[in-house]
Amino acid sequence: MNDLHAVLWIARKDLLQESRSKAVTVATVFFSAVTLGVLAFAFGENPLLMREGAMGALWVALAFAGVISAAQSWQADLEDGALEALLAWPVPRAAVYLGKLLANWGLMTVLGFVLLPIAGGLYGAAIGGGGEAAPALVVSALLGVIAAGTLGFALIAVFYAGLTANLRARESLLPVLMFPVVVPILLAAVRASNALVGSGDLDLAWAWLRLLVGFDLVYAVVCLVLFRFVVEA
Amino acid sequence: MIDAAARLRRPLWLRIYLGITLLLFLTAATFALVFSPRDVTQGDLIRIMYAHVSVAWISFVAVGLTAVFGALYLWRGKRRDDVLAVASGEMGLFFASLTIIGGMTYSKPTLNTFWTWDAKLTLTAIMVALMVGYFIVRGLIDDPVRRGRVSAVVAIVAAASLPFNYLAAEWFRTLHPAKSVALDGSGVTMDPTMLAVLLFNTAVAGLIYLGFMIDRVRLGRVEAALEEERSLAATHQASAGKEVVRV
Repeated sequence: MNDLHAVLWIARKDLLQESRSKAVTVATVFFSAVTLGVLAFAFGENPLLMREGAMGALWVALAFAGVISAAQSWQADLEDGALEALLAWPVPRAAVYLGKLLANWGLMTVLGFVLLPIAGGLYGAAIGGGGEAAPALVVSALLGVIAAGTLGFALIAVFYAGLTANLRARESLLPVLMFPVVVPILLAAVRASNALVGSGDLDLAWAWLRLLVGFDLVYAVVCLVLFRFVVEA
Repeated sequence: MIDAAARLRRPLWLRIYLGITLLLFLTAATFALVFSPRDVTQGDLIRIMYAHVSVAWISFVAVGLTAVFGALYLWRGKRRDDVLAVASGEMGLFFASLTIIGGMTYSKPTLNTFWTWDAKLTLTAIMVALMVGYFIVRGLIDDPVRRGRVSAVVAIVAAASLPFNYLAAEWFRTLHPAKSVALDGSGVTMDPTMLAVLLFNTAVAGLIYLGFMIDRVRLGRVEAALEEERSLAATHQASAGKEVVRV
């Protein structure tokens, strides 16, 4: 078995576990829906404010959901020495990280795709309408932004969730550690989505998306190189 | 048994160094408060700038060095590098907090606000948050080797994210001009006297950083020695206990 197979097997294991327990799905879907609702109350009754804040609210909901999802993926492995068994597997530690990253990214992207129309509907923002660009093009660009943004979140969240997995106070520690690092990703993702939803400005969105992909690449390299120092059996 | 009290006593050369640094600090402050010319637009308020900018520069150096010493620790695994990283990290947190406090003091009378979402302000605030995270993690791990490794990783990721944080915050502002006033002095040519005073203040801030580093590293090495001694004693006791049970 080569390392790529190992990555896919770990991703498969995590997704299979999730499909049986549905712990992450239930927690993240309801939690992010509640976040969208609470933020809608916070914006008040101003329809303009709601429309402009729609994508910001979407990304806040996704960021919080990403913390839950990443923490849960390590939490499940802490039971019955599963993590020790996983780390004893003769594959590079980075393969374990990549597998968990893949599973988390998949879940978060699907969650983002589901939340996008909900946020649009709740906040009265026309997804894909409004600008001169073709709606199908705008929507597919939005999906691309969601995929790139959730990849950035998942990269950092899975990395730090592994780091905090066997520490005290991990639930509160994970957001404290990861949010300052994901600020650039959050900024770029919100800007790109706002450019698309507000005016269908593909050029502006493309500039932010490129920046976002650049962040993803650099964080991916840093996390892959450092991961072997993070977990210890 | 190590004699912690004796090792904690500052040697004469360090006392002399710290004394000279204090004198230089007073000189730098005098230059800033007395000899620097008044600014055309800001008047006497420009005098805050000398303390503010020099401290800000040193805070970035300190955080960067924390990551460098962390990387050295990951590479060589010597306790000494971890001690250096912590010392620099504490200085980084201290200087970054001073930067924010000084910046707010400076910003209120000149820009009539304590806070704007300018790239540099955002970056410094994020840096404080990153360093606080670094020390929270350190406080939660008892095993010195694991603590050193994990906190080194946190420091490296933190330092790696700083350029991106700056880039994103800068783009955020320039691509979508917010209601903020840029306080980066871009395009402003500086009076040579002012520049000289600023550079002197920065050099003195660097000397203060170095002095605190030396003292903190001395403390850190005693801490490490004590920790090692205690864990040795604990293992010794534990193995002694086992012997008794076996008999």
